[in-house]
Amino acid sequence: MRGGAAAGGRRVAVVTAGPALVTADMGPGLGERLRRNRLGIVALALLVAVVAALVLGTRAGDVDPLSTENSTPTGARAVAQILRGHGVEVRQVDRLARAAVQDPAATTLVIANPSQLTAGQATALREYPGDLVLLGESGGALAALGLPLTEEPVYLPETVRSGCTDPDAVAAGTARVDLVGLVATDATEVCFIGRSGAGAFARVTDGTRTVTVIASSGIVTNAQLADAGDAALAVRTLGRHAQAVWYVADGLDPTLPTWSGSGSGDVPGRVPSSVDALPDFMPPGTGSALYALALAALVAAFWRARRFGALVREPLPVVVRASEATRGRARLYRRARAAGRAGASLRAAAALRMGRRLGVGRADGRDALVGAVARASGRPAVDVDRLLYGPPPADDAALLTLISELDTLESEVHRP
Amino acid sequence: MHITGWTVALAALGAVPAALTQSRGVAVLWLLGVAALAAVDAWLAPRTSSVGVRREAPASVRLSQAATTRLVVANVGRRRVRGAVRDAWQPSAGATGERHAFALAAGESASFRTMLRPTRRGDRAAGPVTVRTFGPLRLAGRQRSLEVPARLRVLPEFASRRHLPSRLQRLREIDGRTAVRLKGAGSEFDSLREYVVGDDVRAVDWRGTARRGEVVVRTYRPERDRRVVIALDCARLSAARVGDAPRLDASIEAALLLAALTTHAGDRVQATAFDRAEQARAAAGGGAGVVAALASALAPVEPSLLEPDWPALVRLVESRVSQRALVVLLTTVDTSAMDSGLIEAVAALQRRHQVLVGSVEDPELGTLLDGRGDVDALYGAGAAARALLEREAVATRLRQLGAEVVLALPDDLAPAVCDRYLALKSAGRL
Repeated sequence: MRGGAAAGGRRVAVVTAGPALVTADMGPGLGERLRRNRLGIVALALLVAVVAALVLGTRAGDVDPLSTENSTPTGARAVAQILRGHGVEVRQVDRLARAAVQDPAATTLVIANPSQLTAGQATALREYPGDLVLLGESGGALAALGLPLTEEPVYLPETVRSGCTDPDAVAAGTARVDLVGLVATDATEVCFIGRSGAGAFARVTDGTRTVTVIASSGIVTNAQLADAGDAALAVRTLGRHAQAVWYVADGLDPTLPTWSGSGSGDVPGRVPSSVDALPDFMPPGTGSALYALALAALVAAFWRARRFGALVREPLPVVVRASEATRGRARLYRRARAAGRAGASLRAAAALRMGRRLGVGRADGRDALVGAVARASGRPAVDVDRLLYGPPPADDAALLTLISELDTLESEVHRP
Repeated sequence: MHITGWTVALAALGAVPAALTQSRGVAVLWLLGVAALAAVDAWLAPRTSSVGVRREAPASVRLSQAATTRLVVANVGRRRVRGAVRDAWQPSAGATGERHAFALAAGESASFRTMLRPTRRGDRAAGPVTVRTFGPLRLAGRQRSLEVPARLRVLPEFASRRHLPSRLQRLREIDGRTAVRLKGAGSEFDSLREYVVGDDVRAVDWRGTARRGEVVVRTYRPERDRRVVIALDCARLSAARVGDAPRLDASIEAALLLAALTTHAGDRVQATAFDRAEQARAAAGGGAGVVAALASALAPVEPSLLEPDWPALVRLVESRVSQRALVVLLTTVDTSAMDSGLIEAVAALQRRHQVLVGSVEDPELGTLLDGRGDVDALYGAGAAARALLEREAVATRLRQLGAEVVLALPDDLAPAVCDRYLALKSAGRL
């Protein structure tokens, strides 16, 4: 298309030669158009504003249980805000690999819903050197982490006294046991033991780190934080260090936790990035590049969608075959198995052709035609009469036979 | 407003910074930047009102031949304009190379040719001319469609003209102007000449013989200056397709060939296309322009889905010719003619004129009639035979009225009608 002007066009200097040129009218300018459609533009702007407000206002919030962004009764936003008020830096991560704990000794790693941890994650957490807090039902994670505890269901929730020597539990005084409770398999101390014998809280110290389990996760939720000694217990447990990394397990994230010194490099003091933790075979930035290309595809759609002028209407002619009526009649014959009628038509047509060839008119009658055909073909007149004027064929087989005989007779007829 | 492929390429280039920064935000920002750039470019593009166009289409072209239409594009503004035009035509006009790019300084103009190879007879209308101008960056521009009316009349192909030389030869034989047959055959008295051995004794003019004292014979020549009225039925039945074209197209071919032949024979021909009213009319005072005038008049005739009004046609013919004429009805002879009024019309016309009924036969009917493959084919053959008999009955009825009936396949109709005309002429029945 480009450069076609030089190839196909012939220049002439003057424009005025020949009949008048057709030009587009100037049309109103931008300002005029804006002024003319003022009402429409205002209405459009209002519509956009209303829609934007609705979309932003009804944006679905975080509803994950025990998430620090969740302000519903099942969330843990309240406790996170209290911790922040006490100077604890609470950071929630959506992938365990993004934990990137700089100093495990000064950081509390909070795992909510530990029952959703993958086996690999639970095993990796066993290696984690810092303090760990498990919130909620743990399931197989207790055994995987090597804790001497098992879980029991709690059917009747109750508020109980601490009943143990743990300073945090003692400070809290009372707490609520609900849904899940803990039972120790050795001498480990379990606090807030209800009538069922299962407790809400346990702390296990192995080596340099302590693993705290708050099995009755209701203690830290927005709904129950203000009840009994829940707030004290939660804040003391989660706020032991200046940093808290909060992770809500959802079972969909297979990545392993990262902390200073973890990973293959084992460089002391270096925190592996999420790329190290989740190696990707695509070069970095591929996703962003593909995103940009997708946007370019959108632009290409606009490019192709704008037609170079409208389609031109074509008044289409009637497309009906002249033989439609005959074919329709043939289908009717077939459906009705009208062998007699079809045979009669074919006989009459054959008689017409033979009569024309032999010079016998239709007005001359049956005997004249039979006689002429018999003479021309050398067949007995009775035979010819049976073929041309015999009883109509009763079925398809009779029709086939009759027509094949008729064709033979016609081929035998020669002009005398 | 329109954007070019460069805008898309530029948008795709955004993948590089997005990959380097590993950020989707950068990709979105890049896209917004490209969009803004394109918007500015479109705003800077010359106005479409600074481009003037003019179409110069040929008046007519024969079907199956190519024509070129010219499009003059002029810059009537004050700025240099770079852009493209699309010379849109109906799809059946068969336009190729309808897009042209141009770059014109102020006051310049250029002309472009668009090839047209029409695929259908009739008037082919041009669509709008769409003008695009590009901005300085060639990223985007303005677009506007202009209504520039133009029309190309596609004349009938007149493929049957290849039969004309042989029919003219026959005409000359009848006329007695060739060396092959010195003696003319016809009904109009020409002259007296001396008897030579071999002359028909019935042609001896006894009165002249008595006067001259030697045997003289009369010579004849065919009548001249006879009237021929060709009436094309463009109603319901003419719309049906026979082969690839409607029946009407075969009728038009026959009308054109007959008009060419009658003009050479010295007869006066006029044609009319009608359904319930007259759709087209061509009358010629004689001369070479008859066929062209007829082709041009019949070109835009399209079959209508109406029942023909035969009594109206009879009145029309009676009002057009005052003396005896050959009325050629190019229509369809089938069983519907029994009650459509065709037979009554032929009877009415035959009282004063000679009627010739030409009808296009369907080759598919012959294929159906010969079907012997299985029982289904036999039923098809039965149905075709029934149609054949019904048509034959109508044709017989018409022949009984004294009319001539020609039933022929689409390609054979034109020569068959002409042969029948020549036969009538040599027999002096015009």
